[in-house]
Amino acid sequence: MNNFTYFQPKTLQEAGEMFGKSWHETTALAGGTDLLGLMKDDIEAPRNVVNLKSLPGLNRISYQPGKGLKIGALTSIAKIASHSDINKRYPVLAQAAKQVASPQLRNVGTIGGNICQRPRCWYFRGDFHCLRKGGDICYAVDGKNKYHCVIGGGPCFIVHPSDMAVALLALDAKLTVYSGGKNKTVAIGDFFVLPEKNVRRENILLPGEIVVDIRIQELNNNTKSGYVKFAERGVWDFAVVSVAAVIQKNGNALKKGRVVLGGVAPAPWFEKKISKKLSGLIPSEKNLDEIMKTALVDAEPLAMNEYKLPLAKNLMKRLIGELTA
Amino acid sequence: MPRKIVKSKYFFEEDFIETIGEVSTEKVKDWGPNSQLKVVGKSLSRIDGYDKVSGTAKFSFDISLPNMVYAKTLRCPLPHAKIKKIDISEAKKVPGVLAVLTYENAPKIPWYYGMSFLFDPHLRYEGDEVACIAAETEQIAVDALKLIHVEYEELPFVVDAGAAMKPGAAKVHDAGNVVRGEPQIYKRGDIEKGFKQADVVVEDTFSTQVEIHNPTEPHCSVVNWDGSRLTIWDSTQGVFSVRDAIAGYLKMPASKVRVIKKYMGGAFGSKLEAGKYTVMAALLARETGRPVRIALDRRAMNLAVGNRPGSVQKLKVGAKKDGTLTAMNHYSYGAAGAYPSGAGCSRPFRTLYKCFNVRSEEYTVFINTGRGRPFRAPGHVQGTFAFESIIDETAEKIGMDPLAFRIKNYAEVDPASNRPYTGKLLRQAYKRGAAAIGWQDRKPAGSGSGPVKTGLGVATQIWWGGGGPPAYATLKLNRDGSAHVIAGSQDLGTGTYTFIAQVAAEVLEIPMEKIQVTLGDTAVAPYCGSSGGSTTAPSVSPAVRDAAEQMKTKLISAAAAVLEIPGNQLVYKNGIISVKNKPDKKLTIANIVRRMRERVLLTTGARNANPSGYAINTFGAQFARVEVDTYTGRISVKKIVAAHDIGRVLNRKTLENQVHGGILQGLGFALIEERVMDEFTGKMLNANLYDYKMPAIYNVPEIEVIIVSEGDAKISNTGVKGIGEPAMIPTPAAIANAVYNAIGVRLKSLPITPDKVLMALQG
Ligand SMILES: Cc1cc2nc3c(=O)[nH]c(=O)nc-3n(C[C@H](O)[C@H](O)[C@H](O)COP(=O)(O)OP(=O)(O)OC[C@H]3O[C@@H](n4cnc5c(N)ncnc54)[C@H](O)[C@@H]3O)c2cc1C
Ligand code: SF4
Repeated sequence: MNNFTYFQPKTLQEAGEMFGKSWHETTALAGGTDLLGLMKDDIEAPRNVVNLKSLPGLNRISYQPGKGLKIGALTSIAKIASHSDINKRYPVLAQAAKQVASPQLRNVGTIGGNICQRPRCWYFRGDFHCLRKGGDICYAVDGKNKYHCVIGGGPCFIVHPSDMAVALLALDAKLTVYSGGKNKTVAIGDFFVLPEKNVRRENILLPGEIVVDIRIQELNNNTKSGYVKFAERGVWDFAVVSVAAVIQKNGNALKKGRVVLGGVAPAPWFEKKISKKLSGLIPSEKNLDEIMKTALVDAEPLAMNEYKLPLAKNLMKRLIGELTA
Repeated sequence: MPRKIVKSKYFFEEDFIETIGEVSTEKVKDWGPNSQLKVVGKSLSRIDGYDKVSGTAKFSFDISLPNMVYAKTLRCPLPHAKIKKIDISEAKKVPGVLAVLTYENAPKIPWYYGMSFLFDPHLRYEGDEVACIAAETEQIAVDALKLIHVEYEELPFVVDAGAAMKPGAAKVHDAGNVVRGEPQIYKRGDIEKGFKQADVVVEDTFSTQVEIHNPTEPHCSVVNWDGSRLTIWDSTQGVFSVRDAIAGYLKMPASKVRVIKKYMGGAFGSKLEAGKYTVMAALLARETGRPVRIALDRRAMNLAVGNRPGSVQKLKVGAKKDGTLTAMNHYSYGAAGAYPSGAGCSRPFRTLYKCFNVRSEEYTVFINTGRGRPFRAPGHVQGTFAFESIIDETAEKIGMDPLAFRIKNYAEVDPASNRPYTGKLLRQAYKRGAAAIGWQDRKPAGSGSGPVKTGLGVATQIWWGGGGPPAYATLKLNRDGSAHVIAGSQDLGTGTYTFIAQVAAEVLEIPMEKIQVTLGDTAVAPYCGSSGGSTTAPSVSPAVRDAAEQMKTKLISAAAAVLEIPGNQLVYKNGIISVKNKPDKKLTIANIVRRMRERVLLTTGARNANPSGYAINTFGAQFARVEVDTYTGRISVKKIVAAHDIGRVLNRKTLENQVHGGILQGLGFALIEERVMDEFTGKMLNANLYDYKMPAIYNVPEIEVIIVSEGDAKISNTGVKGIGEPAMIPTPAAIANAVYNAIGVRLKSLPITPDKVLMALQG
């Protein structure tokens, strides 16, 4: 790890100013569960580190019936996992939070840090100077790519590692981002970027921009939501594939729904076709099998990750089946 | 006490070893079943448990000496290279850097059987040692390593055993990639003839991955020079073997080297030899005149201190319709890494079942990765997976229940030597294990309905684990009746301290609390071997009993002298000696020692020789119940029944700990652990504990431990055999067989990860 200067701002404005001129050498620190690992492994070497935890008031959760949910970016994953309104009204989010990493990491890791965490590609995390680190090649495309993406990839083939992001996209969350002295709102669907757009970053944030909070609209009473995660070890492990679904029912049929996949693409992946087909669907086993045929049709698996396709379809089927049973 | 010096042969880790040692020839009464004993066999907590749980126990990693400095090693980032130029000038300038060792300034100490040196400019694997820095803090050393500028000449490399066998492969050593230039061949009978007699012949190929030991405590040493004497606190499985190796490397008398290891956080075979790091630390300590601590980081532990070699095994088995095995052939290869080690895995194949026509041909090849080291039942875990899989396939082909097929081919004598066993209770293990898992309810393969399918599987275990001489223990008895046992063995976290106290307490009939045990110190303890091969308890416990029995005899004869009554009129009970039928005429230990005007009574016990003409083995059968989710490919192991014949149980609790640990390691090997190499760059991709996945508590199945043996009186005065390795051997095979039973598709390549299951189910 290189030496760095450590800043403890008291206000957002102060924090923004600390990025100042040397913004390209400055990084925000939240729980540090990802950033410190990256710095120790010399993958990131910022000259300045700005501790966001010293900003007051950014670690709160507030829920107002009819208005929805607001989660401060510095809120710990553990707090989200155990929050009673979130468990009641937004099970998809609570379930995702409960399956992040380990209890220790959930206590320290924040939701802002979680959606901004860097990919886990073992070439990226190892001493390989790959595209994402400014190098010339992607080692994964012809290398060991069992955990890499099956869709949306190229020229880099990471998967986005965050569980929370998958749930947030299914909930169509909005982010408040502090940027250059003022707040702006960014739909979570516009937050993540694919490698073809920017191979060095996973989201649109520029250095100095800070996620302040996350807002989620109130859900209709007929809405069911849930999150399933498949990880090899079952615990303390990133998703191989995960599914978040938010589905509104209308009698026997489904009114509408949003299905999002994790672990398949460089960003949380909104399954457009499946989501669309949920409108009006009678959720029988047969009908679900039928619509799954259209899932991930554009996927281009790499040499070692074709299994993610049946896995993703089976998990979607299982989750939708459970939510609509 | 009667002693003699004998030749003795027993199995240690990778091969039979022959030892010459002084043994006890004293015959003491066999203890009989544990139910007749007071302390031995009970489920007792470790005597060092409190120290460990409270954090007061000092592991080698925790040793901190005044004025100590820290050493860190620069490792080669490439799989095969030569150093063209190395420049340490910038690193040396860093404030706090005290000394830097490289091949240019370090003594040329031969390493790896003379094939290399402590520092060798020819680097043969990623992780090979390039330089070592001593600095005031570990962080300064780490930072300074980055300022050593090395220019490498990159050489062609190969990191896959199969690729290394092919003509034209990059050469790891000039003499070629096959270790010793030829396979190891074993044969008995005539397989051609045997296969002709067979009604069915089954052929299949299996493969197993490279597994990394990854013990909790890193490999580490703290070294300190005191004049010409060197003291080493090392995290090791063998204090004496480290002492002798270091004395040899540094060309100094062994008496001047003292190696201490009190507590250790695991090893699994990876700490049986002296490490380069220890020698580097000793050299740096001499140069800086200060104590040096060196500890490997997790990455180095994954790259440079051993692994279980992978294997590709092609098996062929012939059997008659009635289940009789007629012939078996085994062809395999695996990688030693960059320097010699053994990748053979056919021993269970040769010794598990009665079969007269057997052949095996095994290749160990060099590749450009870290060298293999013994790993909990070397060869046996991977060999048993393949062999017990094909045994199941053969049983199915002739329409026999897999358990009945195994019993049909039960070996009454060792099939390789035709010698009788000192004891073999495998039949009982099959029987009681089958009852515990509910074997009678086993369904045909793949017959379950619904997406989650259940399966049952069985696999058999054979291992040595009888131990042998030389092993000694010194017993000191104090005037207050407290005792101290000192032995040159070591406790790897397995419970050696505790069983030694139990054995002494059993014989002397004094409370455990009065017994102190010192292990792992070459300066004070009599010799015991390294702790490997599941030999510690079977080798050391008889020496402790011998020492304690001698002490008891000594006390009785002293009492006879004091009381002027013949010894045979005296009774020893609970540390008190009384005259037969006159219970009030008695002496305590304190009375006797005081009358003798001594403060300490001393005896040294020795392990007896093993009986000749016998095969000494441990046996066991493990049964697995698994659930396979065909939607995800997830295998959940629900229950493992482990039924073993391992002689006498010394401590039920620590025995169960060993079985749990072995099963969990076996489960990891079966389902998730795997070293992943990038073939294009020759580098390891998962040299950390996140990407190298090991089982977590969540993955622990229900485990039922059944011990079918009471003690093998033929082998020693305690009748103990080892359990450490036996516990792991059959687990992967039992799980793999259960997975087949669940889904009706056989997975032949470990680890059986969900992607393999899903793709296999897709057909
Ligand atoms: C072993 C391990 C296992 C894990 N398993 C999982 C898992 O299963 N699922 C999962 O989802 N995650 C997993 N994680 C990731 C973990 O959840 C994240 O590291 C954590 O949530 C990040 O939060 P943090 O507050 O510690 O972020 P930090 O490490 O402090 O920051 C991470 C990144 O986000 C940026 N950042 C942080 N906060 C903000 C903000 N408010 N605005 C702008 N940028 C910001 C930082 O600059 C940095 O680049 C795992 C991590 C580890 C180490
Ligand atoms: S997938 Fe992306 S991060 Fe991984 S090696 Fe390729 S370019 Fe680098």
